[in-house]
Amino acid sequence: MTHYESYPRRDWPRLLLALPPQKVMEAARELTERCLVDDQALPQSGLALLQLRDGALAEPYFIGEIPLSRAHVTVVDDKGEKGEGAAQILDDRASLARAMAILDAVLANKLNGSENIEILLEEGARRLLRDEASRSVILKRTRVDFSLLDATGEDNEI
Amino acid sequence: MGYVAIKGGGVAIKGSLEALETLRAAEGEQGVPLSLSAIENQLRLLTSRIVSEGGLYHPRLAALAIKQMQGDTLEAAFALRAYRSTKPRLMSTPVQETRRMRVIRRISSAFKDIPGGQMLGPTYDYALRLMRIDLADESPEVFREIAAKFMADTPGDALPETYPKVVEALRKDGLLPEAPAHDIEPFDITREPLIFPIPRSAVLSSMARAETGSLLALAYSNMRGYGDIHPTIAELRVGYLPVYLPHPVTGEEIEAGEVLITECEVVAMYENSDNKSKPVFTLGYGACFGHNETKAISMAVLDRALQKGMKEGPTNPSEDPEFVVLHVDGVDSMGFANHYKMPHYVTFQSDMDRLRTTQAKAEQKRGNKK
Repeated sequence: MTHYESYPRRDWPRLLLALPPQKVMEAARELTERCLVDDQALPQSGLALLQLRDGALAEPYFIGEIPLSRAHVTVVDDKGEKGEGAAQILDDRASLARAMAILDAVLANKLNGSENIEILLEEGARRLLRDEASRSVILKRTRVDFSLLDATGEDNEI
Repeated sequence: MGYVAIKGGGVAIKGSLEALETLRAAEGEQGVPLSLSAIENQLRLLTSRIVSEGGLYHPRLAALAIKQMQGDTLEAAFALRAYRSTKPRLMSTPVQETRRMRVIRRISSAFKDIPGGQMLGPTYDYALRLMRIDLADESPEVFREIAAKFMADTPGDALPETYPKVVEALRKDGLLPEAPAHDIEPFDITREPLIFPIPRSAVLSSMARAETGSLLALAYSNMRGYGDIHPTIAELRVGYLPVYLPHPVTGEEIEAGEVLITECEVVAMYENSDNKSKPVFTLGYGACFGHNETKAISMAVLDRALQKGMKEGPTNPSEDPEFVVLHVDGVDSMGFANHYKMPHYVTFQSDMDRLRTTQAKAEQKRGNKK
């Protein structure tokens, strides 16, 4: 099993978002049973304007809005160790953002219970790999072969 | 005929909503309610239309809107816009670069040998437009095996997820103008009124959530001859754009999720040189939420036409920003067209009074002549 330190913190949200949300919420709920969680800001759910740069003149513009939830917490574990964590995710469930913020705090500060989150990251990575593989198959199976007919010697590649 | 207040409208409206609901469930005992997942996946191009025309990337809610509005795209986009207006705005994201898009489709009609190669991805471009009768009675077992079959037995290493933009290669070759990154604050069409002239960012935002058919109609007018853009698609790509936001604690850039978008850059004819710089091709740009190639291409053609109109003055409707931007929004135009169904009893009464007066005067004139 790969140790979680092989996944940088910036990848944790992506790995956790690959999992069924109930699994993330359940993991956070288990942690809150033995930790003290203090919200640094009220978990919020709303929208964000998505800003892109256009490909012609390199000007920024807003293509539209995306759902966004965010949470920022401090966690104190049963040994008295304390750590800060947060999450901003493209999802309209503030409860999910809060759960991910709790996992972020525990994992980043190596608080008691972080080993369970490592397992979640591994599972998330496996799911992501599966998704990436399916997209890769689409690309591979539809890649256009522009080599000349003479060069391939096949007549079914027209 | 006099103007009188009536009663019973509320009962009729309630009945009409129940009639709508009844028709939705008209399959009776054999019927199964549509699942949102089925709409999102099996009607993915319809869902794509709604996320872009609704201006909110929320495929699940778009699927719900499609279900609720029984497939009416304009009403579904309206419902999604109404939903978004109830939610608080938490932030505007930092500028996202589409070269980071994880593509599932990427083509160019300008060059065959684009860096990274061309991948057709999922497209109807080369499909026969013949009815597939086998889909009329599809077995669930066969249906569930389709994806597994496609994934199996694909040899070779995985291909990269991201690819360089074709226009960057053209820029390097000196065929396109340099485009240094601007950091100007874009126009927010959801908060600010459109007072013309408007900046290009407002035009791009308006077209990104415009109704597909409206954009197509105006772009088509330019293609057919009411304009002279003559576009060539430098690149059309469909894929998942990762959205990076700062981590609230560390400030480090993190991926908060991804958004399916379609993006298109068209190369248009070169502009006359001002004798100070060498002639180069010009570009038009289009992008929208979801997988909607017709919309992205139409938007790119119109963007180029509007750039010309803003610079030299419009010579046809598709080059006029006011004409284009104010007539492509589906919710606006549908609302105006449908408001004619609302009671206009008083105004029409006035019209009738005027007509009858005019008729009486005309009758009187004819009588006097006799």
